[in-house]
Amino acid sequence: MNLHGIDYSIIGIYFLFVLGIGFLLKKRIKTADDFLMSGRNIPLWITSLAFISANLGAQEVLGMAANGAKYGLYTAHFYWLGAVFAMVFLGLFMMPFYYGSKARSVPEYLKFRFDEKTRTFNAFTFAAMTIFSSGISLYALAMLMQVILGWDFNVSIWVAAGIVLAYTFLGGLTSAVYNEVLQFFLIVLGIAPLVYIGMQQAGGLEGILANVDNAKLHLWKGMGSAATNPMGTDAFSMIFGLGFVLAFGYWCTDFLVVQRAMISHNLNDARRTPIIAALPKIFMPLIVIVPGIILLALQKQFSGFELPLNVNGQVDYNMTLPLLLSKLYPSGILGVGITALIASFMSGMAGNVTAFNTVFTFDIYQTHIRPNAGEKHYLNVGKATTVVGILLSILTAYVARGFNSIMDLLQLVFGFVNAPLFATFLLGMFWKKSTANGAFWGLLSGTGAAALTYSLTVAEGKGGSIANLHTFYSGTSQAFNIAWIAFIVCFIVTALISFFTEKKPEKELVGLVYSLTPRQQDKNRIWYKNPLWIAVIVLVITLVLNIIFY
Amino acid sequence: MNKFFDLRFVIGAFFLIVGILLLIYSFFNETVAHAAVNRWSAIFFIVFAVVMILLSFDKKPEDKL
Repeated sequence: MNLHGIDYSIIGIYFLFVLGIGFLLKKRIKTADDFLMSGRNIPLWITSLAFISANLGAQEVLGMAANGAKYGLYTAHFYWLGAVFAMVFLGLFMMPFYYGSKARSVPEYLKFRFDEKTRTFNAFTFAAMTIFSSGISLYALAMLMQVILGWDFNVSIWVAAGIVLAYTFLGGLTSAVYNEVLQFFLIVLGIAPLVYIGMQQAGGLEGILANVDNAKLHLWKGMGSAATNPMGTDAFSMIFGLGFVLAFGYWCTDFLVVQRAMISHNLNDARRTPIIAALPKIFMPLIVIVPGIILLALQKQFSGFELPLNVNGQVDYNMTLPLLLSKLYPSGILGVGITALIASFMSGMAGNVTAFNTVFTFDIYQTHIRPNAGEKHYLNVGKATTVVGILLSILTAYVARGFNSIMDLLQLVFGFVNAPLFATFLLGMFWKKSTANGAFWGLLSGTGAAALTYSLTVAEGKGGSIANLHTFYSGTSQAFNIAWIAFIVCFIVTALISFFTEKKPEKELVGLVYSLTPRQQDKNRIWYKNPLWIAVIVLVITLVLNIIFY
Repeated sequence: MNKFFDLRFVIGAFFLIVGILLLIYSFFNETVAHAAVNRWSAIFFIVFAVVMILLSFDKKPEDKL
């Protein structure tokens, strides 16, 4: 890919703005709460866009385009079956407990609801997961810069890490959130012209319908059996594994995204944040999945659109978006497209680092290392943790260089951690008899069950380290099944142990458990201020899309 | 100085600069097709930027969607 002066200028202007936001916000940061929680003072439209932007990292932008080419429209299930319903559930039912309990983090809610050991277990697994994820974003960014721009791997890593460090260190969470919103618009406006140009080149909708395998243009057709759809998964795994466990596990319990709603002005804003965020989320497939489908149509009609092979000799679907950018964008708008890709990687990295420093400072350092220190001390710890988080991400990026399957491993780690955690939260928030010991051992058992399932099954040559009791059609199908098994095991173990262990007094659970907390009354007659009305609109649009693209 | 703290102004300023750059560059493109892509993208960016900057003059962003 050949960049010109105009393209480098756009990338340079973006870097200047990102750093400028950090410098402008620096004077606002006076306490640890300002640095790590934005003083709970961020307007609704910013928290809503930051909510989906925190997830617009490398896996979303590159990964979904790749899945679009590999699985076609079935990939939209990640949005129209998973994310949207989970975000509505979070806003309507779970946010009152997160926000109302005054918890500063998801692990801290677990302490209020259960006990310290459950919180600490979640804090450590989450901290490890965020560093891992941040390092992968950095590694993927450096690889992309090396492959498509010919930049040096080491220079790419240190420059990107240095910029993220500068703006998160200067402006804390507010800076990360503000940059996420800028990155959101950049990603949408930078990639939208690609969809338009690609559609034109492919012959419009008729060209797509004529040149793409019909099996890849549906959402539900062929879902009766794993053998009859491109994703290789059946309806049960899709609905229960992805639609319920994985999606709800990620969107409702992962502090990386939940944190964006928890920094709202008030409870109503906190509840509306994920629901309003669901509106643009519904249409994200147009930006991140459709390019993959367009590539399939272009491959049928023109030469030069073949994807390269990866180190294992397989088609490298991750190059879908970079290939389209290089083939369809002229210099100028190409600079915007490349900047959008860089923005997505940096957004993913900054989101993870800011979630990591909050959890480490409040849930590990303040709890176990030095409680009762002054505000200034925790501010300094938060800043130092930001530096450490970036350094650990760089280290992870270099480690990732030696393992070509580490992206698959990351997906599995999410399944191992988030799937059982959702069972813990479901029981914790909606069943007052669930106990601390039940939650702790349930979480351990769920994670263990996920590891065991992975060790006993194989998909695309991965897994089965103990034995091969079952072979899945695809890695995606394996991940969905691991998720629902981990969820069920955690759910059953938590419930069983809760029957025989000591329960918290009910008066300590007020505001933490559904049946013991006064109901939220959504009396506001202005529709856009009422979470319930917005949720109804979101769900109706999603259902209609599911029917149209059946 | 307060205006710079409004994120809508910052976003608007970014896309205005990028849009103007693309618009100027489109006059130097070698092919008509490339010039059109850059020009229409530039116009869209500039319109979006102006809308964001105008919105930033609203005093209560928290009351908006």
